[in-house]
Amino acid sequence: MAPLMANVVQDEGSSSVTSSPLKTFSLMSLSPPSLSPYSPWLRELKSDERGLCLIHLLLNCANHVAAGSLDRANAFLEQIALLAAPDGDAMQRIASHFTEALARRALRLWPGLYHALDSTRAVVLPLAEAAAARRHFLDLCPFLRLSYIVSNQAIMEAMEGERVVHVVDLNASDPTQWISLLQGLRARPEGPPHLKITGVHEHKELLNHMAARLSDEAERLDIPFQFNAVVSRLDNLDVESLRVKTGEALAISTVLQLHSLLASNDGAGDPRQAQRTAPVSQLTLGDYLEKDHAANGYSPSTESALSSPFAPASSPARMESFLASLWGLSPKIMVVTEQESNHNAPALNERFVEALFYYAALFDCLDSTVPRQSVERLRVEKMLLGEEIKNIIACEGWERKERHEKLERWAQRMDMAGFGPLPLSYYGLLQARRLLQSFGCEGYKVKEENGCFLLCWQDRPLFSIAAWRCKRYD
Amino acid sequence: MAAASSSSPFVGVRGEELQSDMKQQQKQPSTAPPPPTMKKRRNQPGNPNPDAEVIALSPKTLLATNRFICEVCNKGFQREQNLQLHRRGHNLPWKLRLKSSKEVRRRVYLCPEPTCVHHDPSRALGDLTGIKKHFCRKHGEKKWKCDKCSKRYAVQSDLKAHSKTCGTREYRCDCGTLFSRRDSFITHRAFCNAMAQERSRIPTVGLNNLGSHLYGNNTMALSLSQVSAQLSSLPDHRGSGSQFEHLVSAGNPSPFSPPQPPPQAAFYPGNNGSNQGFSEDHQLHNSLLQSKAFHGLMQLPDLQGNTDASSSTAAASLFNLSFFSNNSSARSIGDSNNEGNQNNQILIANEFNGANGSSEPTTLFNGDLMSDHVGGEMNSLYNTSMQSESILPRMSATALLQKAAQMGLTTCGGSSLWRGFGSSTSGSLKPPSLGSGMGGGGGNGGDGLQAQMENEAHLQNLMNSLANGSSSLFVGAGGVAALGGSFTTGGLGSFATGLRDGDETKFSLSSTGSLRGSDRLTRDFLGVGGMVRSISGGMSGREQNHGIGLNALDPK
Repeated sequence: MAPLMANVVQDEGSSSVTSSPLKTFSLMSLSPPSLSPYSPWLRELKSDERGLCLIHLLLNCANHVAAGSLDRANAFLEQIALLAAPDGDAMQRIASHFTEALARRALRLWPGLYHALDSTRAVVLPLAEAAAARRHFLDLCPFLRLSYIVSNQAIMEAMEGERVVHVVDLNASDPTQWISLLQGLRARPEGPPHLKITGVHEHKELLNHMAARLSDEAERLDIPFQFNAVVSRLDNLDVESLRVKTGEALAISTVLQLHSLLASNDGAGDPRQAQRTAPVSQLTLGDYLEKDHAANGYSPSTESALSSPFAPASSPARMESFLASLWGLSPKIMVVTEQESNHNAPALNERFVEALFYYAALFDCLDSTVPRQSVERLRVEKMLLGEEIKNIIACEGWERKERHEKLERWAQRMDMAGFGPLPLSYYGLLQARRLLQSFGCEGYKVKEENGCFLLCWQDRPLFSIAAWRCKRYD
Repeated sequence: MAAASSSSPFVGVRGEELQSDMKQQQKQPSTAPPPPTMKKRRNQPGNPNPDAEVIALSPKTLLATNRFICEVCNKGFQREQNLQLHRRGHNLPWKLRLKSSKEVRRRVYLCPEPTCVHHDPSRALGDLTGIKKHFCRKHGEKKWKCDKCSKRYAVQSDLKAHSKTCGTREYRCDCGTLFSRRDSFITHRAFCNAMAQERSRIPTVGLNNLGSHLYGNNTMALSLSQVSAQLSSLPDHRGSGSQFEHLVSAGNPSPFSPPQPPPQAAFYPGNNGSNQGFSEDHQLHNSLLQSKAFHGLMQLPDLQGNTDASSSTAAASLFNLSFFSNNSSARSIGDSNNEGNQNNQILIANEFNGANGSSEPTTLFNGDLMSDHVGGEMNSLYNTSMQSESILPRMSATALLQKAAQMGLTTCGGSSLWRGFGSSTSGSLKPPSLGSGMGGGGGNGGDGLQAQMENEAHLQNLMNSLANGSSSLFVGAGGVAALGGSFTTGGLGSFATGLRDGDETKFSLSSTGSLRGSDRLTRDFLGVGGMVRSISGGMSGREQNHGIGLNALDPK
């Protein structure tokens, strides 16, 4: 099979000389002989040579997958497989997760195969493992803790003087945040309020665990406390079940969850449609160049214009109605932590590159603080980040839940829904920076921007934290 | 839990008085928060006389500060009576409303915020100023910021009160943080302790911390660029050597030193024995070693001047790209070798990814320095690119991606992808198909590598980048070919001439015509030229295509 593949690619390389020098160029550079598995030097590639090589292969592969040319994509996947390793250096790890995602994506063109491979997936991903991965992520990277401490500080400030506080956690998978809130409230000068926490999660076990854990802590701190478990997925949550009562000061918190409501059937939901849109991606390089001159940032590209309108301020109806119903509860504060990246572009190419950079930074974080062989790290990379990558790359339509968007888009969206910005306080920033200092790795940063915080690795923002309140007097 | 309803009436004025209460509480030495039962002894705020007239003001009215304006001096007043008294000072007609004969009905005011407890008439406050302050504090923007501690207040008088005591009372955490507010301090402590526990559980890798330390030193790279600018402007090549010392000394104060002896690969003495001076010049080497901390992507050939050309070329290659711009340094080095001069070339390998156990000499910036001594206007380019490089940490995945983006390595759809990325992330990564010739050069230039490695001994520094028989896949090989070609045929001369034109287009054309090797050279520099133009705004597509076309048609 391998020699055959090589021929295919080479043939195409020579045939395209006539069509476009640029294309030729790209294909020549990847001529398989230089990447034959039997070349001994392949294994002796230095780390960053291999890294550059992987990037090159990944991008070309992504292009072929997006264009639906599976033969060529397959040739690339073969080559990548020689270089990538889920337990190698950061680039090798990233490459293995992205190739898996690309392979899944490619498989969608054969729905039968795809679904057959996917049929046991729910079993493969037990709840406990995913929860453990998240827990490891909390431990290995400071991002979640930063989110918790900043959110809690904002909630504490908003609830200053309130005697009855109701906090709704829209992704109640981890009691850590609320344990620290309990401690913070205990230390209020005016004494702790009566606290009710409503946790929304689709898994009852997690909520039960959380209830027990929080009740213990509240008991220990002698804070009047009540936990209200709502077993529901976020996308069909009935806000009535949150049981928000008048007289309660309401705070809503959501950490890395709200984007899932952006999922919508944007036209590429089933593989047949994906196939139909595939020819659009088969642009020559010249087209690419022209297109990219025109399409910087959010301006719609040819592809996006064809596949689905992506107007800047529009949200799927589900997100709109959900935010509207939250607004109806008139929370004093709503704190939103989200991935700071645009993984919601309709075109796979855009998403792929954006995701490549984003997860490269995240994998770098782990690489800088956690040993290579750490099982926890592998779990985070596979069960958490790897799953996100797969979802971003391989899924479309309703299935594509990891629709991370940047803060400016969230700001527009929240504004449309009647929420105004609530600047995070200087003390929040101070505490976040303290936390980072105690974490001891200098690559992490917290930046303040328009009253919101950006959690960065080196100079790249990876997560955003923003607080909102109901606009009433505009 | 049962006490929830009973304690709720405390919310309002209790909250208002919080600010002033705070100071009193801060003075209390007790570490435990005041017991909640204490509140029960306090008077319940907002329990007005049932007969009182309830007034609900809109936020706008409530917050209007100067509703009554004096027509003479434009001074505004909140109450008409005050204005009337003020008018008296201007000798204007004034009239105070007389107290009505009948008993004035007591007024109470509602908070306009519907979610607020004081929105309820039964909890209205009897004082207009009070409700105003309440509204600002609880539902308003904190406009007043303390210059000392950055705490914000919604009411100016609160800030004034705070500034009297700000800084006089401090809470210090074990971790060294100072807090002026006790509650912030306590909140912090909870996390600080928790984190300390977490930290003790998580093992970290020392080496990687080193990497991040190194990363913190971006500014050094920038200062280097200034030095190099000086270097290039020096007419005397002997002077360039001393300038280089200067450069090195700029590296010395860097607060870190290599934690371990550098791998052998950090130095490339060269196989042809032309580097006699290498082992003798330890001091220089050591300092160079330190200067590798600037960033691992930098290559510093020896700048001890020897020939006429070398001062400029050596300076130019200060930051050369090992893969192709080495042409210049190799040129000078080659010359000196022939003349028997002592010429050390030291290649500072990438030490940043020590964790990876590999060290590769790869630099991102090449032509910049060239242009630096050719035309002063390109200094800005140089600095720009230095900055963009200084973003790079060690050779992490991110750095690799950025490097790939800058090299345009990804070709085809890839190059456009990168551009798309560049526009969405960092402005400095936006070159249109930046040096997209490079990737292809690597692809088809690999064959010539081996032969040239043997023949072109003076290319050692480049060779070493491809050392151990491993060719750098996309990048190095093309550079080698270019290097060989340019050297053997004296392509550098034409290259320099072309550069002096200061025009990338001319340059590309002239040197393209001269020889095959410098075709590639041209192409490579075109890539950088592309950066020049794209930074200053727009590069003609012709150039791009030209360079790429050349490359594509180059026989393998």
